Amino acid sequence: MAANAIDQTRRMLSLVTYLRERPGARIADVARAFGISEDELISDLDVLPLCGTSFRGGDLLDIDTDGERIWWHNPAALSAEAAAPLRLAADEATALLVAARAVATLPGLREGDREALLRATAKLEAAAGETAGASDRLSVTFESEGGVFAEVDRAISERRRLWVRYYSPARDELTEREVDPIRLFALGHTYMEAWCYRSEARRTFRLDRVAEIRILDEPAAPPELELRDLSEALVQPSADDPEVVVEVGPGGRWVAEYYPHDSAEELPDGGLRITLRTPDPASLRRLALRLGPDGRITAPEDLARSARSAAVEALAAYEASGGQGA
Amino acid sequence: MAIAKAERLMNLALCLLGTRRPLSKRELRGSIEAYLEAGSDDSFNRMFERDKDDLRELGLVIETVENLDGDVGYLARRDSNRLPAVTLDAEEAAALGLAAKVWQQARLAGAASGALQKLRAAGLPEEVDPYEPHSALEPRIPVHEAAFEPLMLACRDRRPVVFDYRKANAARPEARHVEPWALECWRGHWYLAGWDRDRGAERLFRLSRITGKVRSRAGKFTAEVPDVVTVRETVASWAGEIADRSAKLKLRAGAGYPLRAKATAVRELGDGWDELEIPYGHGMDAWLVEFGPDVVVLEPAELRADVVDRLRAVAKG
Repeated sequence: MAANAIDQTRRMLSLVTYLRERPGARIADVARAFGISEDELISDLDVLPLCGTSFRGGDLLDIDTDGERIWWHNPAALSAEAAAPLRLAADEATALLVAARAVATLPGLREGDREALLRATAKLEAAAGETAGASDRLSVTFESEGGVFAEVDRAISERRRLWVRYYSPARDELTEREVDPIRLFALGHTYMEAWCYRSEARRTFRLDRVAEIRILDEPAAPPELELRDLSEALVQPSADDPEVVVEVGPGGRWVAEYYPHDSAEELPDGGLRITLRTPDPASLRRLALRLGPDGRITAPEDLARSARSAAVEALAAYEASGGQGA
Repeated sequence: MAIAKAERLMNLALCLLGTRRPLSKRELRGSIEAYLEAGSDDSFNRMFERDKDDLRELGLVIETVENLDGDVGYLARRDSNRLPAVTLDAEEAAALGLAAKVWQQARLAGAASGALQKLRAAGLPEEVDPYEPHSALEPRIPVHEAAFEPLMLACRDRRPVVFDYRKANAARPEARHVEPWALECWRGHWYLAGWDRDRGAERLFRLSRITGKVRSRAGKFTAEVPDVVTVRETVASWAGEIADRSAKLKLRAGAGYPLRAKATAVRELGDGWDELEIPYGHGMDAWLVEFGPDVVVLEPAELRADVVDRLRAVAKG
């Protein structure tokens, strides 16, 4: 599949260099070395014999495969010099350097890993030369609770169960759970994916909401699970979830940036009518309270009512503690 | 059937890399089948120019040389296109393998894989498979904002841009003319720092508030680019991360763990309530209202008044 001609060209140029040095390379090994599927590699091998320094006079690359190994019958069609490894493009250097620097800043990362990242970054900067110059115009910070991160990382590598006290903002409560950690991932915030024995299900825990953590003696034994696809939004409301409608003024437009929603309709005052779904509408009472003068929940009615009565109750507490101020 | 673009680009790259003397456009057209099939001179010329730009994006340095007769020739010299020797050990290779997977943006994900493949071709160690998950850690850089790619290129090439931007509290977007300096991602959101030409000052923009297209403007930057561009510190202060004041609160026992985690002192009042001292910054009032009747601000009076105002707005419905 030639999804993107630019990426495929880039890959084929590296393949030519790689294959010239390795007669009879195995399809499986090459695909793995290049981080592509065997089908992608074979589609590259279909194109390469149509390429050369000229399509006349037998200058085309005579590269073929028996389905297992790759053979290049006329390596002289391209001089060793012309097939030398190519310098990094600005975007290539930037993409790798910015990512490596970002990962190296993760609090809680193992020292050995951090050092390897920093050494690799320095070598890459040297190899890229001035091409690396634009890489400081992009930067990414990963945040994590260093201590919690390091404990989860250790539990995963030692395959041990964890005990955590975990904060749930929707209910404003702390719960104690035993979990078998599966992996750590960072996506804006840092998370642990784990099998949770309290809910008998796979759960994702945000590390900055872990109030306490302890590694237990029991070995971790999470059931075989399909890991979540990190390219998709973490919150995936289902079509059966109840619908909530939030109307916000211009000052509440941020809601559309933070909450996955079905629709956001522009209102004449510069505000939005946002329709979203959630399995637990009561968890949005916090949002209704937070919005204050910048918006309100219009449906469902019992959620709107619960926010209003929470505010009335809170105002009564202010009254009782010496007036409501200005 | 038209010849695939990747095949055409590959042929042009090999011709330019394989030659020791500059090749004229006519020679290149005679050597590359796709160009022969291009039809008119015009369509060939357009295709050729685009292809050269694409190869340059891939890092190829293509020189344009004029000979004595005034004919233009092209070549990609070996010495300016070769990767300098780089020796990475197995641990460093694994570290870069991890880094190559973090971008969730198509262009940079492709560029990162491409970089790793170039290093692979140059002999990056293969004992460890760099594409295997490294320990069990998977960092990802999310990019949801459509404005990211054009702004990334504009920062790279130092090109002024114009875009429509809606400020947090504004009802309507407004055109902003900006010299873009740097992009930074914090807590999953992207921000642009740059010189705002209309305001004659440095400004920070949140990419999700850019509406419509980012358009390039001709000409160069007019303001000097500072050596160090700070984004995160400014955004953190907006987010109330920088605490410069202190409040005294009453909090219901067992409630409000995040408030307790930030508190400098907690005292049990005994009647089911605790008293907290907590440092705070911008946006504290909105946050406290989230806890509804479980929190009461005692001091300072301004914060107490702000929270009460917000509660009244909610109570009104």
